[in-house]
Amino acid sequence: MSYLLRTLKKKEEVDSIIRDTIDKLLVLRFGRSSDSVCLQLDDILSKSEREVSKFAIIALVDVDSEEIQVYTKYFDITFIPSTIFFFNAHHMKMDSGSADHTKWVGAFHRKQDFIDVVEEIFRGAMKGKLIVNCPLPPERIPKFQLLYKDM
Amino acid sequence: MAMEAPSETNNANPSTVSTKKNSKTKGKNNDFEFCKVCKLNHNQGRRHNYFPNHVKSLSSFLSRFQTKISDVRFFLKNPSLLRPELASRNRFWCVFCDSDVTEQGSSFACENGIAHLASADHLKNLKSFMWKHGGAMDRVDHFQVSEADLAKYEKKCISMKNEGASEQSRRALIGPSNDIHNELKFDYVNNFDRNPISFHNSSFPNGVLPLQNHTNEKYQVSQSDLSGGAASSTSSYDNKSLLASNAKRPNNLRGQLRNGPGKTCQVYADKREANGEVSSAGLLKLTQISSTVHGMDAGNVHSGAPPPWFDTTNRIHLDPAPKPGKEMDPVTKTVKSKLNPKRVGAAWAEKRKIEMEMERRGVLPANRFDANWLPNFGRVWQSGSRKESRKEFEVEATKPPKDEIESDSSLQLQPYISKRMRREANG
Repeated sequence: MSYLLRTLKKKEEVDSIIRDTIDKLLVLRFGRSSDSVCLQLDDILSKSEREVSKFAIIALVDVDSEEIQVYTKYFDITFIPSTIFFFNAHHMKMDSGSADHTKWVGAFHRKQDFIDVVEEIFRGAMKGKLIVNCPLPPERIPKFQLLYKDM
Repeated sequence: MAMEAPSETNNANPSTVSTKKNSKTKGKNNDFEFCKVCKLNHNQGRRHNYFPNHVKSLSSFLSRFQTKISDVRFFLKNPSLLRPELASRNRFWCVFCDSDVTEQGSSFACENGIAHLASADHLKNLKSFMWKHGGAMDRVDHFQVSEADLAKYEKKCISMKNEGASEQSRRALIGPSNDIHNELKFDYVNNFDRNPISFHNSSFPNGVLPLQNHTNEKYQVSQSDLSGGAASSTSSYDNKSLLASNAKRPNNLRGQLRNGPGKTCQVYADKREANGEVSSAGLLKLTQISSTVHGMDAGNVHSGAPPPWFDTTNRIHLDPAPKPGKEMDPVTKTVKSKLNPKRVGAAWAEKRKIEMEMERRGVLPANRFDANWLPNFGRVWQSGSRKESRKEFEVEATKPPKDEIESDSSLQLQPYISKRMRREANG
């Protein structure tokens, strides 16, 4: 699936996409293309890319790449796939009732869920909010356990 | 102006403002002038220079002349002898001086042209042109030849003349071997006995071969760099053809390949390589002749180089390319105003937009950012602003990771329970 979307393998690429995305939501999916959940998410992302293209840019980031390690550490990525949102180079958080507000962990249940989330974050960002509430019902939010400092 | 004076004297009105206006509009209507750049008669006076259409056509006008000059500059760097029969074709029109610079009686290619570009007259005309049409004065250097370059060129010319004397004598022995077409024909004749396909007609104009067989059976490539270049790039036609004739011994590479049963793949290629070394293992019966053309080893169709006409059009299109950006500015400004000024990172977006615009125009270098740049990111276990967590991370990265683990191991481990989960558990 990953061939349908731009895959970033270098830190500079991630840097530049964050910096060059202006007034649009940047969706960065951290993961690897061999993982089954990642594939599921990639499918949803690639299918909805066109529909959200007016207000969002979607890119995949390969966590296995050596140069990306600094970002996986910085973003505390312990599960894949993890999806991180940026707006005007500002990190956007979402309170989805899960442990981690900083990113979306896991896949979305369906395409519309992803579009809803992206739209909600974009609307929040346009109103100057750095954190938004998740528009999805809790049963459609993937559950995971996060331990402090991943120990 | 002659009309202005009577109008002012006739209008002995107390309302001086209206008379002034009248005279101004009259004056404007009267002196029409021709803008060489826009090819347009206008009565706007100096104002005309600031019209977007003028600016656009000025930049394409200058870039067109720049391509011409770059051809001349080629000969400035590599002086080459000009054969008298080609002298009439090697000339150029100086748009600033409105004069035709011919090469009659000069022994080097573009000699008169270079001398003209370095002359004081040209500089004067060039400056007045730039002043009149609102060109950037810092671009003046692009359209003239500096004295230092001229001196270097003259030095090279003198040394060439000395060499040329011996070369000319040699050429006289061989005869006019510069004619590529003749040479091609000659080679075909040589290959007659070896070629399974017989040529019925050996006089091919421009070195293009007629098809000997049906194309559905055989794959034939007949590619000639020299003739292709001359035919396709009309703008620098004179120079290209000159180059062709200056190539003293065009590299002639031809071979035949048998691809499977019944399929013949025939490749004719005229290649100009810098040192004339051909090492294509697949081609048989190579005729290798070295060439003396410098700087033209840009490749051909087979090496995946862009066709020659791409260069000229690109250059013309590249210069006006930033123009749409400039014109877009008011558009983006209106869009900008529609967006919420309090949106996340609004100030940053505005700043970055200007930066990107400048990067696109080449004012700023593209990657000025630090390799260690990181975006602001609110981390999972971090309180405080997002900038703080970046700072914390940078500190962490510099610190050895070992003592961090030791200090943290005393803390109790607890799974995270969010506010919402707590609320749901309670209610």
